Amino acid sequence: MNVTTNAGRLVRQVLAGEVWPALADRHAYRVGPDGQPFVLPGMGGVTLGVHCGDPATGYASDHLEPGASVRHRDPGANMALQFLTCVGNEVRVASGPAKGALGHVIGQHAYVLVDFPEAAAADLTAGDAVTVLACGQGLALPGHPAITVKNCGPGLIERMPGGTRPDGRLEVHVAARVPAEAIGAGAGMVSEYANTDLMGAYAGLGEDLSLGLEGLRVGDIVALADSDHRYGRGYRAGYLTIGVISTGQCLLFGHGPGPSTLLSGPAEAFHVVDDPGANLASWFHPQSQDRDRYGESAGGSR
Amino acid sequence: MTGDAGDAGAAGARGVLQPVAVNLLGVVEHPALDGGPWRIDREGTPYVPLGDGGIVLDLQLGDPVFGLAGDHAAPGACLVHPDAAARHALSVYACIGNSARVRTGRAAGARGVVLGQRGEEGRVIVGFGQEDLARMRPSDQVAVRAFGQGMRPEALPPGVMIMNLDPGLLPLLPVGLPPSSPPPDGGGDDDAAVTVSVRMTVPSKLAGNGIGRPSASWDLDLQLPPPGPDGAAGDLLLGDLVAVTDLDARWNMGYRRAWVTVGVVVHGASPLPGHGPGITPILTGPAGALRPRPDPADHVGLTKAVLKLQ
Repeated sequence: MNVTTNAGRLVRQVLAGEVWPALADRHAYRVGPDGQPFVLPGMGGVTLGVHCGDPATGYASDHLEPGASVRHRDPGANMALQFLTCVGNEVRVASGPAKGALGHVIGQHAYVLVDFPEAAAADLTAGDAVTVLACGQGLALPGHPAITVKNCGPGLIERMPGGTRPDGRLEVHVAARVPAEAIGAGAGMVSEYANTDLMGAYAGLGEDLSLGLEGLRVGDIVALADSDHRYGRGYRAGYLTIGVISTGQCLLFGHGPGPSTLLSGPAEAFHVVDDPGANLASWFHPQSQDRDRYGESAGGSR
Repeated sequence: MTGDAGDAGAAGARGVLQPVAVNLLGVVEHPALDGGPWRIDREGTPYVPLGDGGIVLDLQLGDPVFGLAGDHAAPGACLVHPDAAARHALSVYACIGNSARVRTGRAAGARGVVLGQRGEEGRVIVGFGQEDLARMRPSDQVAVRAFGQGMRPEALPPGVMIMNLDPGLLPLLPVGLPPSSPPPDGGGDDDAAVTVSVRMTVPSKLAGNGIGRPSASWDLDLQLPPPGPDGAAGDLLLGDLVAVTDLDARWNMGYRRAWVTVGVVVHGASPLPGHGPGITPILTGPAGALRPRPDPADHVGLTKAVLKLQ
């Protein structure tokens, strides 16, 4: 993005986490939009076969978290991990057979979500330690004081297309536009943690549930209409929030593929360009589907 | 409400299952703060949250939701339980209109009425007379006669669900059920629908915290703007009934086109983004079968008089 930032003044911190197991309770079932009971995987552990650029919906899954779901065992340290980790931050596996493999943060969902190349993900499991190079909270765009930046690694803002336009607005490319009616679970929560589930993306279910969002992909940059995420997540007419789809398919009602928050401000501060290429896969994860390699980027080792 | 199930035998013979009453124990909550003293409001200003749980004095049914500098302030005492699972059960089973009685402390014996529930870990809001409330303190024990989940009036049209409501309270609310048998001439559309007087109708895009959560145990915050400078237009009172369009609350609450949910306003406004006055859902159904009638000026919902709570 062609924009002036304060990236040179940000602090980087080395944080630790571990791949967290999938969790269930003995009652097993949850309830879908039409009252259908379901038992489906997706949250926690390492979810295989779904990466940035892949469809977010269409799986027999609930709260699909692509790749590894990461937490810290200590509650206070976990909140620091969740708040300080930003989209695009590097994550390196620190134990187990996949030790040394490199992934990138794609968002938060009460876990830090990390997309790894499929071959590395296949060797990862719950309990494996990871090291997160956290950087991005505090990122600001001095030329766009009305826009709040959060959860956005400086490397992401650099790679995104767009930037400051001659008219002073910030050009942002998005793969989809989301109406305010779609905002589901996550409304009212802080915007540095978890994400905003989008309703209206229940692939294969009734037309009365659809808001036309079934085509979302993991990693899509999206624009949320009438959403103000500067100090939490709420409805505000005339505001716009830019997010990145970090979770996928849901059957739990009132939930759905969710964007983690990146930018938020008055709608007139943005110039939104529709661009199907506005996806993390274009900038961070070109090797995700490569089953023969660990997706090592330059300078890394395993 | 007494929850008298005197006709259980007759109804049971017709195949309609009768709800069961359960005595539960609630403990009056103490407000709790997480970390520092401040929360951040929707303008980015830190504030000290007042009235978010526990005992709130001088706030009653009929008071405006924007009347206090509070955060989710509820009219009465909030009940919890020290065991997390028992706390969830308390908020799931307790229904609006259920009777409650203080068992310990200076207000022992005082009678209250369940006004609604709140989400997250679960809270039951109980209204008391102000003199009784002033004698209560956090940790007082309150028995709740939970009764109503599972109720389904025979006249309820298919597709419409009722929840969180004491059966004895239903006839006292401005809810019109269709006749049990359709009139011989087929009648008009309204004859087959549930009609409800509401203070206002709110579009689902203003549904905030509570969306995606179970309606049996959570309230739904409405992201309403405060009323205008004249203080009258758009105001909402505690106890009012409100309809939310395009919202299905049968199980979890979520967007469904041409669906309506009606709830009772159970707590006041909040400065937090995504929050606001909250409703406990009581009716949800297809728009054709559940018909709210907005009456901004003269609506009468859940009141102290209806509950004999003075």
